[in-house]
Amino acid sequence: MPEPQPSKNDPPPSAATPERPEQRAAESADMVVRRRQQPVRPFRGLRSEVSAGKTLLLGVCGALLVLAAWWLLTRGETPQQRWLSPTLLPSPAETFADFPRLWFEEELTRNAAVSLRRVVLGFGLAALVGAPLGILCGCFRSLGALLAPLLIVGRNIPVAALIPLTFFWFGIGEQQKVMFIFIASVAFVVIDSANAVGEISGRYIDTAYTLGASRRQIITKVIVPLAMPSIFNSLRLLFGIAFGYIMLAELVRLGSEAGGLGFIINSAQRRGMRTYILLVLMIIPLIALAVDRFLYWVQRQLFPYYYGSEGWLHRALVFALRGCEDFAALFRRAVAPPLALSGSADQASKPGPGGAPPSETNTP
Amino acid sequence: MTPDAANHRPPKSIGQIGMGRIIDRSETAAEAALPCVVEFRNVSKTYNVGQRNAFTAIENINFRVRDLPGHGELVCVLGPSGCGKSTILRLIAGLPPQHPATTGEVLVGGAPVLRPGADRGMVFQDYTSFDHRTVLENITFGLECMGVDRRRRHQLGYEWIEHVGLDPKHDAQKYPHELSGGMRQRVAIARSLILRPRIILMDEPFGALDPQTRMNMQDLLLSLWHESEATIFFVTHSIEEAVFLADRIYVMSKAPGTILRELWVEPSDRPARQMQGDPRFLETVNYVRNLITQLEIEGRIAEGTT
Ligand SMILES: Nc1ncnc2c1ncn2[C@@H]1O[C@H](COP(=O)(O)OP(=O)(O)O)[C@@H](O)[C@H]1O
Ligand SMILES: [Mg+2]
Repeated sequence: MPEPQPSKNDPPPSAATPERPEQRAAESADMVVRRRQQPVRPFRGLRSEVSAGKTLLLGVCGALLVLAAWWLLTRGETPQQRWLSPTLLPSPAETFADFPRLWFEEELTRNAAVSLRRVVLGFGLAALVGAPLGILCGCFRSLGALLAPLLIVGRNIPVAALIPLTFFWFGIGEQQKVMFIFIASVAFVVIDSANAVGEISGRYIDTAYTLGASRRQIITKVIVPLAMPSIFNSLRLLFGIAFGYIMLAELVRLGSEAGGLGFIINSAQRRGMRTYILLVLMIIPLIALAVDRFLYWVQRQLFPYYYGSEGWLHRALVFALRGCEDFAALFRRAVAPPLALSGSADQASKPGPGGAPPSETNTP
Repeated sequence: MTPDAANHRPPKSIGQIGMGRIIDRSETAAEAALPCVVEFRNVSKTYNVGQRNAFTAIENINFRVRDLPGHGELVCVLGPSGCGKSTILRLIAGLPPQHPATTGEVLVGGAPVLRPGADRGMVFQDYTSFDHRTVLENITFGLECMGVDRRRRHQLGYEWIEHVGLDPKHDAQKYPHELSGGMRQRVAIARSLILRPRIILMDEPFGALDPQTRMNMQDLLLSLWHESEATIFFVTHSIEEAVFLADRIYVMSKAPGTILRELWVEPSDRPARQMQGDPRFLETVNYVRNLITQLEIEGRIAEGTT
């Protein structure tokens, strides 16, 4: 039999998956031989690992390439000398020179914070509602079938078309922006959570049943924790998409000017400030990247058994859950465990099925 | 000598112990009067009933395992893959989709099986340790579900970690992905046995292990079983494993699965490594192998004539 493969829904195998030392030694020896035989070619090995430093270096190279192309296309003293006229694309120098003005005059940080707050609220709500609902849909297929029409609509609706509706429903204030994000993303959260539950191998559930777990315990102690890494992963990816949606909501203006990065783009467009638009377009991915890295850190700390991290958040969670258990125990009658091992020798002579836990299995 | 050999205790046996010879034996009158732990009455299981891909996995299975006082039996179900061994085991466990049987009755302790429960612990071939729980938390899962408080269940958990040959100090806080296959199966065994089940169902639990580890696990299983009163149903396709472990072997045929023969085997009096190299043991293995071939040929001839 081959080594057990991680099931398909597992996140990437952790860096800490222990290999036997001799195996690792053999591998590195193998690598040394290979290095000697072959010159270093960055695009040689299919799916082979790239070191962190090299990844960064290649990334910087990629960014520089784009920047160089941009610089080349917009080079020249006068508009006539350029390949692309300044009305189409301002040069890098012109763009970055406008950054301080954007920062101070357009209150970049405040507007970025306004946008971020809307996404966090709207998407947070979607996660709070969607993930439990999705887990229930995954556990109880009938509920999934009941919600299927709603989910199909929610997934396939053109989000831009939602904007006018949300104006009717939620007015023109903050609430509209938040609810727009919520409506646009909740169906995806539900579907991904339900899929995460569906992908848990049935053998875990069978095992839990044979260990005497009730249906509710299987959901809370087995299904939810096993589905969580996959759910969290998809939440992280969906957050990036929701961040894109907020631009849409902010670009459509009705009455008040409520701020946000989309608002900066909107007003820059009216005033013909192409440089501002370019700058905001560059800043958005940076913010999205920062948020994504933060969420990835959270994910790693929450699920140390997949990512081999220190698991600070996991420990905090375990600690909190133990607190809850102890608190609940104050109000519960103690349950006697089955026989302790030390007592097994003298107990073995007693008739009857040991200390087998009470089972309602065979009530005729 | 291996530590397993040192721990090896002669089994509490009904009769003789020795090299795993086939015993010519049938139920005594006294035994026949005892109630049954597990009984199959004309059990058949057809998957996808009424559909085009309907498939009868097992047909007309009948057997009884008696509730011997203070002593559980180790029953091996032996047969090629796909003959319905897992189907039988999961019917006893009460796990869908095998449960409920298409026809016939599956009785445990005299009552029909309605749903799975902790009185019938199960160890699977696949590694089924919960990834998000440490070894200790995995082993105490059943106690946690019962509502045993944390201090007591951890105390018991540590005892069992040691009892199945793991290191309480180093292994207790490990996650399953840090364990080897053999260690994972030790966790799976401890996790079931800690609940003191009346019946232990094992579905090729050592099938994925290398021969050395496998023999260690066989010795471990026997020593754990000797000190419990549980009846073990052990499914395997390895004749050696069946002859070494079993008190009784049910030899199964394939498609649809039926029980070809019931064999009583002498319980082993020595550790796996010593026993499984012995010519007398290999003689029995060969005998069973030839018997299976012969029974299969007979079966095919019988099929041809009908
Ligand atoms: N859920 C199922 N649906 C349809 N066929 C099944 C199902 N489970 C098992 N089978 C079929 O039943 C036969 C017996 O299966 P199983 O009991 O798993 O055999 P074994 O454990 O002896 O290898 C196999 O041929 C298998 O293909
Ligand atoms: Mg099987």
